[in-house]
Amino acid sequence: MKNYNELNSMELDTLREIGSMGTGNAATALSGMIGRRVRIEMPEVRIMGYNEAIDWIGGPEIITAGVLARMEGEINGIILCIEQAAFVEQVLTCVLGRSFQSFDDLEEMDISALREVGNIMISAYTNAMSGLTNMKIRPSVPAFAVDMQGAIMAVPMAEFGGQSDCIMAIGTNFIFDDDRTVPCRLLMSPDVRSLNFLLRKLGVLDD
Amino acid sequence: MTSNKLTIGIADMKMAQREGELITYALGSCVGVCLYDPVIKLGALVHVMLPINMETGRTSPLKYADTGIRETLRRMELQGAKRSRIVAKMAGGARMFDTPGCGSLGNIGQRNIESAHMTLKRENIRLVKEDVGGTVARTMLFDVATGVGRIRSYNRPEQIL
Repeated sequence: MKNYNELNSMELDTLREIGSMGTGNAATALSGMIGRRVRIEMPEVRIMGYNEAIDWIGGPEIITAGVLARMEGEINGIILCIEQAAFVEQVLTCVLGRSFQSFDDLEEMDISALREVGNIMISAYTNAMSGLTNMKIRPSVPAFAVDMQGAIMAVPMAEFGGQSDCIMAIGTNFIFDDDRTVPCRLLMSPDVRSLNFLLRKLGVLDD
Repeated sequence: MTSNKLTIGIADMKMAQREGELITYALGSCVGVCLYDPVIKLGALVHVMLPINMETGRTSPLKYADTGIRETLRRMELQGAKRSRIVAKMAGGARMFDTPGCGSLGNIGQRNIESAHMTLKRENIRLVKEDVGGTVARTMLFDVATGVGRIRSYNRPEQIL
């Protein structure tokens, strides 16, 4: 059984491929939802230690929104979509025509829009994974929270913390048609057993 | 005011003596435990993520409440701390996502609190103050010179610990 920090470059490339496809799907879905063109930068897929991942995302104390879903079916795990202020502002402007000053002012309507966008993003990645592998993966009903991003990120980390000291993170920038660039960050964590199953199914697991 | 700040990450522990501030950011379901010997002014802060260490190799004791607290006590004693004088303050163990359908996710915080309580009790360490549970993330600061802790949260006034 291979852990996240033991993957070779071919296995990592395969995970990158899933990340790229998922990001492409996510941009298409987001574009459809807000009715505007959305481009993406080349996504970055990284396997990092907990503290490194929190630094990578911009530090532990920054307030952010998170949408969290479990993956169930042939692949088990967790996906967390991190919706930072710039992303939230763009979504609320495009979807609801509302301005956004601070997370303190979020109303029920805003929260359900953000939850739905998070759900769409998460589904884009799980669809990429199941499309490539021909496996059934169902994301659960998404949960939503606003708080310090270090604490939000610790949730998927803790879920599989007994198995691994690392987590897989996907980062890209969405470029909107008004040239605004908004970062998008996700943590995708199939559990270690599912990771091995996934890589074997794709014919790249070297064990 | 103290000048030197030591930042403690996840599954990490640091110690300071006589002066200095120990900080750990954004405790969600994780638990931060401050252990302090007031006589020699030796303070340690450990940031644990999970309740009980069941790893076979035990490579990262500081990730778990039980082995994290014991390892911290051991290292404090090497620095001259006396078990009978050490007191504890703790924070964290929140439930970050409060929605049905996420199974055991919400309980990790509560299990961390219970494991930390039990370990402190078994090690005969008196817990003097805590700010635990709820649904809010906490940044924990501990001044080694005074033994006073502070808790910073989003949308909640600062607490003294």
